[in-house]
Amino acid sequence: MQQATIKDLKAKRRALWRQRFMENWRVFMHNPLGRIGISLLIMFGLMAVCSYIPPMIDPMYHPMTGVDPKVVSSVGPSWQHWLGTDFMGRDIFSQLLAGARVAFLVGVSAAFMSVVLGTAVGMTAGYMGRFTDTALMRLADMIMVLPTLLVVLMLAALFGQLSIWMIVLMIALFRWPGVSRIIRAQTLSLKQRPFIDAARVSGASHLRIIFRHIMPNVLPLAFLYMTFRVTSAIVIEAGLAFLGFGDPGTVSWGMMLQWVWKTGHMFQAPYWLLPPGICISLITLSFYMLGRAMDEVLDPRLRDETQAG
Amino acid sequence: MSQSRENKTILQLERVSRFYRTRGNVFRGGGRLVVALNEINLSLRAGEIFGLVGESGSGKTTCGRLIVRLEEADQGCITLNGEDITHLKGKKLRDYRRQVQMVFQDPYQSLNPQVTIADSVAEPLITNKVGSPLDHMERVLKVLNTAGLSPAEDYVYRFPHQLSGGQRQRVAIARAIILEPSLLVADEPTSMLDASYSAQIFEILQGVRDKMGATIMFITHSMASARYLCDRIGVIYRGHLVEQGPAEQVINAPRHPYTKALIDATPKFGRAAEVPTYGTLLAAERPATTSAGCPFFRRCALAERLLCAGTYPPWHQVGPGQVALCHLLEDAAPAVNSG
Ligand SMILES: Nc1ncnc2c1ncn2[C@@H]1O[C@H](COP(=O)(O)OP(=O)(O)OP(=O)(O)O)[C@@H](O)[C@H]1O
Ligand code: SF4
Ligand SMILES: [Mg+2]
Repeated sequence: MQQATIKDLKAKRRALWRQRFMENWRVFMHNPLGRIGISLLIMFGLMAVCSYIPPMIDPMYHPMTGVDPKVVSSVGPSWQHWLGTDFMGRDIFSQLLAGARVAFLVGVSAAFMSVVLGTAVGMTAGYMGRFTDTALMRLADMIMVLPTLLVVLMLAALFGQLSIWMIVLMIALFRWPGVSRIIRAQTLSLKQRPFIDAARVSGASHLRIIFRHIMPNVLPLAFLYMTFRVTSAIVIEAGLAFLGFGDPGTVSWGMMLQWVWKTGHMFQAPYWLLPPGICISLITLSFYMLGRAMDEVLDPRLRDETQAG
Repeated sequence: MSQSRENKTILQLERVSRFYRTRGNVFRGGGRLVVALNEINLSLRAGEIFGLVGESGSGKTTCGRLIVRLEEADQGCITLNGEDITHLKGKKLRDYRRQVQMVFQDPYQSLNPQVTIADSVAEPLITNKVGSPLDHMERVLKVLNTAGLSPAEDYVYRFPHQLSGGQRQRVAIARAIILEPSLLVADEPTSMLDASYSAQIFEILQGVRDKMGATIMFITHSMASARYLCDRIGVIYRGHLVEQGPAEQVINAPRHPYTKALIDATPKFGRAAEVPTYGTLLAAERPATTSAGCPFFRRCALAERLLCAGTYPPWHQVGPGQVALCHLLEDAAPAVNSG
């Protein structure tokens, strides 16, 4: 083939993907939920990134170990401490920034793991059918009926303090069944579609059919579920931390709430209580809005395809 | 037509049957047996276009799916070039599929919506590990041009929903012929398309036969398109093959009552469509007393109750290369070989 043709084709390919992205982006941004969700998430993202700055300005702004020597008990907002300090003189604002980092870390990694696991299990069960399907789905049922927070609490009580990564892993391990059910249902219906037969006639192996033909069709759905999983992961982590079973080495918003409560500042220090509370609500809300807007992006296309048939 | 071509048999179906068991209730049972194909005998000659004609639900698609081995026959034997392929598995099945490809009925469903045209068409090359990626693109472009999508460069990087139905069917044909198969099963490739597209698709299929030397099994419910495209025709009714022969003969001198009914149902230009030429189709189905008799008994206007309801009709040789399955052809010589 000529060099010019190849270049031309490559340009066409780039154009195709760009066009696909722009189309989806337009639908997404058309939705007010999408716009609000994205703006809030960008704000939280900036907070997470900026969390590295205060400790660099002055070690006393370190969210965990930095103590203002002039402060002996919790004080309200000032120029020195924009949101005040906690009971031992640590800066609440820098704790809040660090909390954003932890929320993203916990939320996104737990959600990612549970969605990867759920998608893999769902596709396998749906495609293989028979015994594999039954076995995997019974397992999913068993895990699904367990109340995640309660079980993790019990485990934490058994094994002492859990590290943040253990918590992430637990959440992932307990939250995949919901995803796998959805993906399985989708796989079952995809499996019946003629393009799977066409792929088989083309000589595609089972693995190729799963990864090349079924996966691209379930990924958007999996991605959608990931946003909802992020929400639940953040809430579970906050709950654990508030109840005193969080990782003592990290400053999460749930942890901050626990400190407020344990030191008896619930009703004395609104500057301390409100920011983490509001942040938890807002970040879960924004992931939820993101998901709803994405739903809108996916839905018309799914509808399009079924109509075409 | 191509009677002068070599008459080597490429594909042979011998007494091939396929049953579906409809699902019963929870307590096991109630499952009914649907006979989709009943002891079909067929042989396709190298380089011909063979038309399999029948109404909806007669088992045409099932027959095609058995041939490309998307399904397995419950009884009987299918051979390609003398090799038994009825129960092939694994690597041998994959090798077999290099030679036998299929174009599906619904072009809106037979292409993966999330896969680009380039990747869809190149798939057989990838799964069979033929050539390098650059090679693939070259062959994809060439075969798309052959299938009438030109300039092919404009189509390769699109998703199926960005093409019309006719264009999608061309893509499906391109994918089916990229490995230059010796046998192509085309399952009603135009039934979902506008009439104007049909003629173009037919032309492409003819080209595939003429230029690649492929044998084509063309499945259709329309006598008109079978007449246009096919060298030989087989007529199938509810899983039973009832007549087979050269296209011209079967259409101009049909012998089986069902074939006649099909031709009556074909719209004709310049003729009052309401007056049937043969009138072999009963307006109302008659109740069948047994299941042993002629498959067409319930709708046949010519049926003789005693004979047709009770015994399965024999094959009769009714013309050169033409056979039909009916009691009322006693004048003609009984056929020795129905295939
Ligand atoms: N998977 C299946 N399960 C049960 N019955 C089936 C199945 N596939 C086909 N059948 C039955 O087998 C018979 C033949 O079906 P087939 O699809 O081969 O017909 P067809 O001639 O292709 O019809 P059409 O022109 O509508 O495509 C029908 O009665 C159908 O109901
Ligand atoms: S055998 Fe009898 S019922 Fe069957 S097609 Fe011939 S005439 Fe009709
Ligand atoms: Mg069909």
